[in-house]
Amino acid sequence: MALELFRIQFDSCPAYRRLCEMSGVSAESVRTWEAIPSVPTVAFQELELSSIPAGDRIAVFHSSGTSGQRPSRHFHSRESLALYGASLRGGFERGVLGLGGATVGEDGLQPCDGEGRALLLSLTPPTGSVPRSSLVHMIESMMGRRGGVGSCFAGRLREDGSWEVGFEEVRRVFADATDCGRPVVVLGTAFNLVHLLEHFEDAPLSRPLPAGSRVMETGGYKGRSRELTRDELHAGISLRLGVPSWRIIGEYGMSELSSQAYDAPVAGRGRERRFGFPPWARVLAISPETGRPVRDGETGLLRVLDLANVWSVLAIQTGDLGRVNGDTFELLGRASSVEPRGCSLMAA
Amino acid sequence: MLAHGGLNIQAAVDGDHSMNLPNYFIADLSSEAVLRPEMISEAGQALKRNRERYLLPRSTEAILQCIAEVARSWLTPHSPWRAKALDHGPAATGFSREMLAAGLDAFFRQVTLRNLTALVVQDLGHPQRLDRLVANDAETVQNTLGFARGPDLLVNVAAGVLPTPVFTSIIHGLIVRSAQFVKCASGASLLPRLFAHSIRDIEPKLAACLELGAWKGGTRDLDSALFGEADCVVASGSDEAIASLREAVPPRVRFLSHGHRVSAGYVAREVLGEHDAARVIAAAAEDVAAWDQLGCLSPQTIFVETGGTLPPDEFAKQLGEELARVEGRLPRGKLDDEAAAAVFRRREFYRIRAAASDSTRCWYSPESTAWSVVYEADPRFQVSCQHRFVHVKAVDTLDECLRQSEPFRGKWSTVGIAASGWRAEELSQSLAAWGITRICPLGRMQHPPLTWRHDGRPVIGDLVTWTNFERLE
Repeated sequence: MALELFRIQFDSCPAYRRLCEMSGVSAESVRTWEAIPSVPTVAFQELELSSIPAGDRIAVFHSSGTSGQRPSRHFHSRESLALYGASLRGGFERGVLGLGGATVGEDGLQPCDGEGRALLLSLTPPTGSVPRSSLVHMIESMMGRRGGVGSCFAGRLREDGSWEVGFEEVRRVFADATDCGRPVVVLGTAFNLVHLLEHFEDAPLSRPLPAGSRVMETGGYKGRSRELTRDELHAGISLRLGVPSWRIIGEYGMSELSSQAYDAPVAGRGRERRFGFPPWARVLAISPETGRPVRDGETGLLRVLDLANVWSVLAIQTGDLGRVNGDTFELLGRASSVEPRGCSLMAA
Repeated sequence: MLAHGGLNIQAAVDGDHSMNLPNYFIADLSSEAVLRPEMISEAGQALKRNRERYLLPRSTEAILQCIAEVARSWLTPHSPWRAKALDHGPAATGFSREMLAAGLDAFFRQVTLRNLTALVVQDLGHPQRLDRLVANDAETVQNTLGFARGPDLLVNVAAGVLPTPVFTSIIHGLIVRSAQFVKCASGASLLPRLFAHSIRDIEPKLAACLELGAWKGGTRDLDSALFGEADCVVASGSDEAIASLREAVPPRVRFLSHGHRVSAGYVAREVLGEHDAARVIAAAAEDVAAWDQLGCLSPQTIFVETGGTLPPDEFAKQLGEELARVEGRLPRGKLDDEAAAAVFRRREFYRIRAAASDSTRCWYSPESTAWSVVYEADPRFQVSCQHRFVHVKAVDTLDECLRQSEPFRGKWSTVGIAASGWRAEELSQSLAAWGITRICPLGRMQHPPLTWRHDGRPVIGDLVTWTNFERLE
């Protein structure tokens, strides 16, 4: 199926075809899914990697780069958004809400009520103010489908374009939830959470969040807050919100993909956590030296083949180092930026 | 054996026996964990006592002879220090054996009595300036005499993986007869240690005035103990590291710093003809390959003038071919995952840019990250990710090049130029006026002479304090 999709994309996306041909690859020369030519995320900045005619494009998602940097652009049509929705739901419901058999933690506590809805609190601004954010689109889409009474966005867009968390809103949602003993699912970027933790450091919550509450964190820091290691961030969330580390879920996604990976602790392996994509996406680790896949367990640059990327390019080469074991992978750090580094000298 | 540092280091920990280096210097200890601030302070005091006994009574000439002999010993085919550096260096430094051999040989070849004397004369005006009150011709006319002395304890804070700048600092300290403590970056002490042991081999009394330690940058208690004993601190490193060190150094201690710099090549159109082009490209490849392009003196961008027989993009292509040949002779060192990933990301960035526009082209070593050349018509200076990743930029004139490089003014160290005789003079004048502190022929960028003024400052001249004697009329 991946090969079939590759051939369609080779034929229908001129920029992709040109990249393939520059590397000496033709539609016929690719015989295994591992050999499908990937495009780096940076290609979405420079090229229009889309087979959607300009008139049918109703949405575009941008990467959240630093200011002054050209963002990646991933175009969507009505049809592609519908598929994107189906894809993100599958991953989120299983990875974050623990529906469909996946369990987060040992006590079996689920955040969803009998109707499969949960109290979702997003620390990001709502989609109306950040229409180009694929993360916020995902959260909005999940709120519509799985959000219970009281679910809301507590973030705001400042005039300078940065995101801020509305602490009063968060406190109100937390207080109501605690009063009713209703678990909360907090969704946000790592820097959103650092801002929130800093707030609660000054004015701590009087009660921890109800049992069964969860936190989903995603993305890097991009210089928007203090940078914490994952363990530090988890320790802060446990301390300030009362959510144990095994109920904190990492999300790995990017605007160039239509599927997301979620992590979970590895049983019996201490703090080790592994990410997994839904079954329609696969991940490879590529040797930065040779550009070929490394052996299972060796460090390489993650390459994701996402069958839900139908109208763009299915094979995406990230700049992130990781280790792949079978269907799961360990993230060793996200590349701060795909643009050439060294600009610190320019600023000096 | 001479008492060194007043410490019973042998009893403290087991040293690194795999190389059979005795535990003589603090950096010989196999673990940093045993370091305590008192050890560092005591070492500083012992060094100053040893200086009084062994270094101050010596003549400059005797010291220079000794340094030259150490350098000669590294160049002999059976030098145990060179052998150890080549055997253990690749794992410790990341450079290939061949690169280390070439780099060390080039360095030690120029450490001769003649060149050392030239350095003293250049900076201090008289070969015996450090021995007694003396007068050169100008001073004789003025009827004055002068004497210069180095700090009691000189501290060198070394950065990076290149060994030769640390060797140079040690040599400068010996010349001005200072006791020295060289603080290496954590894990970067092997070659400085071998150099220090080779001094001890030739003249143990000089080595008794020298100490080496290695610990992680920003270890405040150790840094404070060290700076508390120092009279002068010379630091290299990033701007942030230097700013933080400056704060840690007490106000009475002189603080000299060398921040991070970048360098570039400049190729004039008249040397891009049939006869010269191959030689110029070979020189450019030599500079990119030297020390794997990791030094401040390595070119990150090479500007090539348009209008020559060989256009700039063709120059870039041939530079790639030349780098492939150099790789056979001087292989680039192995990269860790993070560094290799950085090269990979850059390569992808330019591969895509080349697909999107005709004004970018790129050539990469196949099956490895050994070398990468990116050509762009855009004439702006570009910082590279190093490890033999070089940018070639097309420029019409030097003026245009300098105008575009304005954000880097004051951050450039060296420009290696390839130009005909009269144009080389003209270009050098313009570069000097713009603030470039070192201009050299392309192909020599990583081989500055011993008399090179780092950042355009006097070398040993910045270390000394003078006494002037104005004679009676």
